[in-house]
Amino acid sequence: MTSMNDSIDPVARPARFGLFGRCLRTSMTGRVGFGLVMFVVIVAIFGPLLTPYAPKDQSAMYAVGANARPSADHWLGTDRLGYDILTQLLYGARTALVVGLGAVLISGCAGILIGGIAGYRGGWTDEVLMRFAEFFLVVPIFIIILAVVRVLSKAVTGTAFETMPYFNLTVIILMIGLFGWAPIARMTRGEFLRIKTLEFVQAARCGGQSGRQIVLSEILPNAFPSIVVLIALEIGGAILAEAMISFLGFGDPNAVSWGQMLYFNYQSLKIWPMASLAPGFMIFITVLGFNLLADGLSDAANPRARRR
Amino acid sequence: MNASAQIERSDVISTDDVILAIEGLNVSLPAGMDRDHAVRDISVELRRGEILCVIGESGSGKSVMSNAVMGLLPPQLKPVAGRIVFDGRDLLTEPPEALRDLRGRAISMIFQDPLSALNPLMTVGDQIAGVMRAHGVGTAQTRRARALELVREVGLPDPELMLLQYPFRLSGGQRQRVMIAMALALEPQILIADEPTTALDVTTQAQILELIRDIQRRKGMSVMFVTHDFGVVSEIADRVLVMEKGHLVEAGTVQKVLTRPEHPYTQRLVAAVPRMRGDTREGMQGTPVVLKVENLRKVYRSGGGFLSKERRVVAVDDVSFELRKGRTLGVVGESGSGKSSLGKLLMKLIDCDGGRIILNGADVAAMPEAAFRPYRKTIQMVFQDPFASLNPRHTIGRILTAGPVTYGETPGVARAAARRYLDMVGLSASAFDRYPHEFSGGQRQRIGIARALMFDPQVIVADEAISALDVSIQAQILKLFADVQAETKVGLVFITHDLRVASQICDEVLVMHKGRVVESGPPAQIFLSPGDDYTRRLVAAIPGAEITLSHDGSPQP
Repeated sequence: MTSMNDSIDPVARPARFGLFGRCLRTSMTGRVGFGLVMFVVIVAIFGPLLTPYAPKDQSAMYAVGANARPSADHWLGTDRLGYDILTQLLYGARTALVVGLGAVLISGCAGILIGGIAGYRGGWTDEVLMRFAEFFLVVPIFIIILAVVRVLSKAVTGTAFETMPYFNLTVIILMIGLFGWAPIARMTRGEFLRIKTLEFVQAARCGGQSGRQIVLSEILPNAFPSIVVLIALEIGGAILAEAMISFLGFGDPNAVSWGQMLYFNYQSLKIWPMASLAPGFMIFITVLGFNLLADGLSDAANPRARRR
Repeated sequence: MNASAQIERSDVISTDDVILAIEGLNVSLPAGMDRDHAVRDISVELRRGEILCVIGESGSGKSVMSNAVMGLLPPQLKPVAGRIVFDGRDLLTEPPEALRDLRGRAISMIFQDPLSALNPLMTVGDQIAGVMRAHGVGTAQTRRARALELVREVGLPDPELMLLQYPFRLSGGQRQRVMIAMALALEPQILIADEPTTALDVTTQAQILELIRDIQRRKGMSVMFVTHDFGVVSEIADRVLVMEKGHLVEAGTVQKVLTRPEHPYTQRLVAAVPRMRGDTREGMQGTPVVLKVENLRKVYRSGGGFLSKERRVVAVDDVSFELRKGRTLGVVGESGSGKSSLGKLLMKLIDCDGGRIILNGADVAAMPEAAFRPYRKTIQMVFQDPFASLNPRHTIGRILTAGPVTYGETPGVARAAARRYLDMVGLSASAFDRYPHEFSGGQRQRIGIARALMFDPQVIVADEAISALDVSIQAQILKLFADVQAETKVGLVFITHDLRVASQICDEVLVMHKGRVVESGPPAQIFLSPGDDYTRRLVAAIPGAEITLSHDGSPQP
């Protein structure tokens, strides 16, 4: 330790979420997207405090009946099964976010891991992993997910899994995650291939750093901006996928999901459109929010494209 | 302002001779840039049948000016004042259709990168004929005949066959010839050339310069030639304009500007031009050998899969040399000569296919990475691209200390060393906590040198370490290398394509061609009396021999 050492000033580093900050500062699209996403997040966290009803409370059937118009007790009315629409919307936000984040957590980890290995190793490893990824890109994922959900819900009857809460929802999240990693792996691989040839990576090798250090501290942080954009997009995609699965009637009967609301109510669209349009609108703004956020992040990650 | 006033007085000419006049041109930059104008108050007259060179360093606005003439400015750059007068018309106010008619027919342009300027999906013949078709000239037959004539004129081999080729099959020089043929298709009065030889090897550059000069004389065209290289200027120019930060600082005949520059900036620039030196550098003599290479060989294999035939390229073939402590070995050659592969082999960034690399008394050539690790510290590298060689997400401190810390140095000692070496390369210690983007190209290259020094190595391999820098910065970094070497007695392997630079810094030079060393020896011998044919061609192709040999490298008055 020398005296020079003591003179290190704690200089302010750039903001930790540099990409995120830049997205919000420079991109109107990003700000709108972030606003929509934050709205859904706040609804998911605090929404249930605003309603006196439980999510599966059908007691309105005895008071105002099904497909009731808005009233002081039911601000958006009730739906075909006598649920309070507002309550369903609020709880649905939770499901949507859990599905989006959960599925992308799985696909993101798998995608970054597999794509990273393929891109860094190259050669045969790359060939094999990418052919494997292509398999996941070409299979018709909805049919597989529907089949798996149906088969599993039959198969677990009578086992310990039957009592597991939200079993179907967990399966759906897992399946969306498992089928969503391939695009992320492709992107990660591309970025790794590009970055590993840059001179600072060679410099790190000349400095004696191990492969693991190079991947974690040199390549990955520089690949991250592009990956984050894709992840934001995939969150929206996963939410949409869950809504579609639920709309087809394969959702979790215990969960409250916007897709399921559509499934329950689309037949009475003419009688009481609110019951279908409200969850449709929520799906719309949530997916739109994540897509706009991804656009904004992409603008922030590629400053050259920003100056169009 | 002062300079432009002088220019107007010294250049009194009849207006008949002026084919293109730029009058008081101002082009603004969008807010938030380092200055508010790309070019300011530029007044230039291009005369009939002259080659006017526009020279300046990066960011001087020289390309903005030439693009303004063509109406090719990007939308955020707006000409806010001035006129560009051609044929009695102001090009800045002409409607787009009128400009389109002029482009290609009256004023043509060739670009720096001939590959991206050519359409990869169209044959050479179609592209040349396309220029004529766009202007509704001739019929399909006459256009083809004219294209054939042009391809002959620019000296492309097998003209008939050449018309059917796609750009990717051609070499860089051939592509640039195609670009020139396209530019000449409609016999323009003005040719604007924006750094047309910068991406080319020195021997190819010499050929293209000769072609441009030749065609200019034959056709009596006016050429506006934008470049950053005083060597090129001295080869080709009749008159020179010097630009700095958007201002025109000096103009005059090529002899006047090169030998008696008036503006201090021009004087600095001319003084910084690397000059061929014939004297032997008084490097250290009789010091121990730190790096010895014997019969080193590298073969690149590609394809060789199940469907394609394997392609083999011998990148480094039987290369041997010795480097002594405190001395500098130059490795020169054109692109594809294998000089960069040699550098990577020495660093063991790629594996070799034979030969020995003796470092510290041990042959490291065949060592696996784990066994080589302890030797890594003794050989370090300085990279070419100052913008790619530093991780943009790490502070300078982290960049410098990462290596030693990996080798078990305590962070405190490494930090102290980093500050010491930052000081040695001429940066303040406050650089430690900053990020690479806060530094200029030259400063980043200093950081790269400090990073190499962190290990106190015996050998530094510098791979084109100054070729991405402006000429005045090049001179500073070269001096830094010399100072660092004097202080640390490090052995330098200096890889460069620029023979003038090699002649200045090296004690000994290897000339590489297609992977082989064709000649080696002290620079005086190599450059003044080359023994090998290839070396002779290389030396002859160096642009601006007359300015670079005439002086001893000291700044001129």
